[in-house]
Amino acid sequence: MAYTPQFYPGSSSVGINRRKHMSGNVDKLRDIPEADVVAAMGHRAPGADYGSTHPPLKEMGEPDCPIRQIVAPTAGAAAGDRVRYSQFADSYYFSPSVPYWRSYWGAINCKGCDPGTLSGRQIIEARERDIEKYTKTIMDSEMFDPALAGMRGCTVHGHSLRLEENGMMFDMLSRTEMGKDGNVYQVKDQVGIPLDKKASLGKPMSEAEAKKRTTIFRFDGVAVGGKVGARKNDEAIEALHHMWTLRSKWGFRPE
Amino acid sequence: MVTKSDTNSVQVEIVPSRFLMPETAQRLLCEIYKNGGIRRIMIHGPNMPREVPYGPGKGIPIEANRNLLVEIGDQAIELRVKVGRIRLEMESEDYLGGLKAACERALPFSFQFRQGKFFHDRMTTSDYAKYGKVEDERILGLIDPKAKKDKLAILSEDMVTFKEDEER
Repeated sequence: MAYTPQFYPGSSSVGINRRKHMSGNVDKLRDIPEADVVAAMGHRAPGADYGSTHPPLKEMGEPDCPIRQIVAPTAGAAAGDRVRYSQFADSYYFSPSVPYWRSYWGAINCKGCDPGTLSGRQIIEARERDIEKYTKTIMDSEMFDPALAGMRGCTVHGHSLRLEENGMMFDMLSRTEMGKDGNVYQVKDQVGIPLDKKASLGKPMSEAEAKKRTTIFRFDGVAVGGKVGARKNDEAIEALHHMWTLRSKWGFRPE
Repeated sequence: MVTKSDTNSVQVEIVPSRFLMPETAQRLLCEIYKNGGIRRIMIHGPNMPREVPYGPGKGIPIEANRNLLVEIGDQAIELRVKVGRIRLEMESEDYLGGLKAACERALPFSFQFRQGKFFHDRMTTSDYAKYGKVEDERILGLIDPKAKKDKLAILSEDMVTFKEDEER
């Protein structure tokens, strides 16, 4: 029987969503044009040539190496692209992907990328044409919501703040705006430089939809320790305790 | 033992469940102002810079954060923060009912309304280092220790007066 990775414990909706993110089996909710994603990232103008740090691998004459023979290079690596990034901030108010889960998604499902999780933001670095592909996948899928998550290269402040009146996560640089038609528009790239053309990111999720798709445990959503007065730990806590027990015992090692 | 204050003033903090748009902030501040009895007021929230502060886009103006004028009474203030919390010192408890009703009228969502002590009344070391001895002690508790000296406001009992042109 073929082995199917379990990825994450727990039978709550949060546990199920976390498993979906890690497995890469996420729902596609929207289709943002590739040119808009590229413009929002701000590393190159849509349609412009890719910058490179080395000649294409085929022209370089690689050394005889068994690993290089086993592992096929990504499109960006084969072409010698520069390494570029996309970085997201995610609201504590039921954003679909809390930072670690986008990192896990990247580390498990994306070849040749370097994900990193910081206190309030999450970055993935990869060769330019690869990161563009990965970013489009993120923004088209349920891992992203135009109101509760945002691509922010700098000044990421906002993830732990209250939402604005219109349900958007606070953004000091106003990179996105809520249109009168109910769609959210990207008006600046991720470092705050205005775009030539607004890009529609689609309608934000309703509160109920965000609570259904979120990967965050919250006392007012799915609480990791169960409801007050009826405590019942999620399987995630038991798995965590199990890991800590093993880790502590391994570390103890009495001779 | 609880030390009793020698004044009848009360301090109140209003925390809306969402950050306020400038229009809602103006509506709320006008209602609070109309209710009267304000001794001191502080508007608090995350900074809204007028230009990109750092990164590759440093110095590019942020139009959405500019010219956010709020008119209260016959005064116009330029908002520099996204309003998320308002602290007030009222002359007496008599004004609290009206203040709560003002918030209910102006805010389309829930808010917390807390009575407590929110302004300090003794000078901190940072205050002294920055401002020396101040004549008008109402300024204490209105000063953001990180703000520049010109970024502060004093509300008098009769009218609103500003030092320079900023509020923080």
